[in-house]
Amino acid sequence: MSGDGAPVDEVAPPVPDMGRMGSERLGRLREQMRAQGVDGAVLMHGPHVTYATGHVPEAVDASHANHRRAVAIVGAADGPVGLHAHDPVDAVASAGAELGDPLWPELDDGAAAVGAAIAEVLGDLTGCRVAVDGVTGAMARAGVLDGAELVDAGRVLGPARVVKTADELACIDRSQRHTEQAMVAAQAACVPGATRAQVAGVFLAALREGDSEPGSDHRNEIDPIFQPMPLRRDGGPRTSTGHVAFPTGVDNPVFSEGDLVWVDAGVGWHGYMSDFGCTWVPGRGPNAAERSLFDRWTAVLEASLAAVRPGATLGDIGRAARAVEPDETPWLPQFYLAHGTGLESAEMPMIGTDLGQAFDDGYELAEGMVLVFEPVIWADGVGGYRAEEVVAVTGDGWRRLGRGHHYEPFSK
Amino acid sequence: MTGDPTTDSATGSEPVSKNLVTARRERVLDAMAGAGIDVLVLGRQDNAGYVCGMRRLWTAGTRPFGAGCIVVGATGRVHALSSWDDGIEPPMGFDDLYPLTWNPRIMAASMASIDGLAGADRIGVDELTPSFRRATAHFAPEAEVVPADDLIAGVRRHKLPGEVEAIAESCDAARAGAQAAVQAGDGADPVGAAIAALAARGVTVPSSGVRAERRGDGLAVDVGVICDLYEGGVGGLFVDGRRAGSGVLADACRVGASHGDLSAAATSRDWLVRGLGMGFERPVIGPQIGIGEQLEAGMVLSVTDGNRRDVIHVTAHGPSVLSDRP
Repeated sequence: MSGDGAPVDEVAPPVPDMGRMGSERLGRLREQMRAQGVDGAVLMHGPHVTYATGHVPEAVDASHANHRRAVAIVGAADGPVGLHAHDPVDAVASAGAELGDPLWPELDDGAAAVGAAIAEVLGDLTGCRVAVDGVTGAMARAGVLDGAELVDAGRVLGPARVVKTADELACIDRSQRHTEQAMVAAQAACVPGATRAQVAGVFLAALREGDSEPGSDHRNEIDPIFQPMPLRRDGGPRTSTGHVAFPTGVDNPVFSEGDLVWVDAGVGWHGYMSDFGCTWVPGRGPNAAERSLFDRWTAVLEASLAAVRPGATLGDIGRAARAVEPDETPWLPQFYLAHGTGLESAEMPMIGTDLGQAFDDGYELAEGMVLVFEPVIWADGVGGYRAEEVVAVTGDGWRRLGRGHHYEPFSK
Repeated sequence: MTGDPTTDSATGSEPVSKNLVTARRERVLDAMAGAGIDVLVLGRQDNAGYVCGMRRLWTAGTRPFGAGCIVVGATGRVHALSSWDDGIEPPMGFDDLYPLTWNPRIMAASMASIDGLAGADRIGVDELTPSFRRATAHFAPEAEVVPADDLIAGVRRHKLPGEVEAIAESCDAARAGAQAAVQAGDGADPVGAAIAALAARGVTVPSSGVRAERRGDGLAVDVGVICDLYEGGVGGLFVDGRRAGSGVLADACRVGASHGDLSAAATSRDWLVRGLGMGFERPVIGPQIGIGEQLEAGMVLSVTDGNRRDVIHVTAHGPSVLSDRP
């Protein structure tokens, strides 16, 4: 399906211009900094470093990423951004930044170099308003940011990031298509007797196919989820929501014939995250009751999408979804009907969270925002259907990112 | 700390992992008492895992700081952010959890309901954001917020026997991955082969991940994985299936070794000796860092010298290689 009803699945994805993407992002960041009176930003959260510089830190465990942090230092005025990275920096990122030695902000004997690197770009911080992702213990003990008024970097990065440029949308589109392609092999491997890890291994190996250097372009960012779901809400772990626990991300279950397996994965391309979700049934086709879950899911998605356009509020879309399923909220209570994706896989805008109806009613969609719809239809005794659909808000509606049509063995 | 629960077999029926969680928790509570920290607020996943043994969905890269886990000295209780009890280890239970929320007001209410937090004088954090500092004024108005990353890093520097065993098992998985990469046939993707071999053992979470690159006649391989919260790794240049390169730096990892000793032993300009446990830990010693560090018994280290990487347990009797155990 698409905004105007035309089939889009064979349309080739657009090719992003990385240089233009980088300069437009930095421009948006600095515009926010100036609008909010922020003089400088010291960025140490991977997606924020990417937004400011184009450098994408490797997809390693958080303990590694914390110790080997890339640091970007950005002044509100035009001029080079300071970039200090442990991983190799590609040509596009190094063209727009002044590269410095790797920094160790976690370590007490690395703190002085962090202070010097900040001073080199931002000068004396006394009386300055500085946006930071965090202050490590070593930075605090060394007084690296003393004298500055600190604000959360999310306050400037959040509004800059929420509306995507055309190139950012193209990155998400490509990442989504590549993920969909790798999932074909994973689905074939998801048979009775297979384990979650085996299916994940097939997916991770398949992700490497088609890269310029295998594994160089697409980076897996989430331990891929293939979770066989209970048939009843109370059939799994105890939850605070009264609904099912998902995604738990633990254990290595063996699939049985007829399991309803909820699939969820996220892969970065130039940092931009895909979000693939669907429901598989190992060993057999879905039965009539399971198909009716999918039909109801499709109705919720279609009603939601019909409400998507610039100026619509998140509340409008949530109401459209609920109108189709008046008896029960058609999404997981701890999450949302939809969330954004970009350099992180769960960004604003989020529809139907516990931020509440007033928040949703006060938040308007704009062209260039991204929504990942993930309704859930549940029937105790039958189980649940969940899948995800990624769309961008256009001038008059929406368009799909990714090739889509990934609902086998369910389909209309 | 009194006694070492991981070596105490008196209880017999207790699973080692439960003893290990309890032992780690007690070490942290002891360190808090020693440092005058009433409450620890941990945002780092590895620190939270250390204190409570909780397994969560793995995601790559840095995460914004938030109250992922809270340790209260006065009650001895550990609380964690989760909407369900899957992956929770005893002695923690469902009642020690506070649910996932997007709403700062709901989070503040969860904080307020944690026994012993409101009256805390000193709250230690493993990182700090401006918004969290502001939030503490609401749920613990009298508290001074101090960095405590060094407190928990200090505890983690020395491994319990059960931790050494867990690391050795993770190293065993990493070796199986490296071996599969080396044995991949001509034209096959060695990384794909390693991924499949690891997956067959149930391992899909990377620490540093799997790398493989042809170098002349050889294949440079490095595998870093996490199994059941503990990291394992191994690396080397493999020629005709055998690992080349020198183990001199690993052999220099002895009690009392200084930065100068390690620097002198390294055969490559690209060397790094760093703590390994629940991921990347301290000490961190390399060409430009860790000048004042000295190795101590009980440390477990990832030792990189060029292409070669070994995992070493520093003991009073010398280095014990965990990444190359028969």
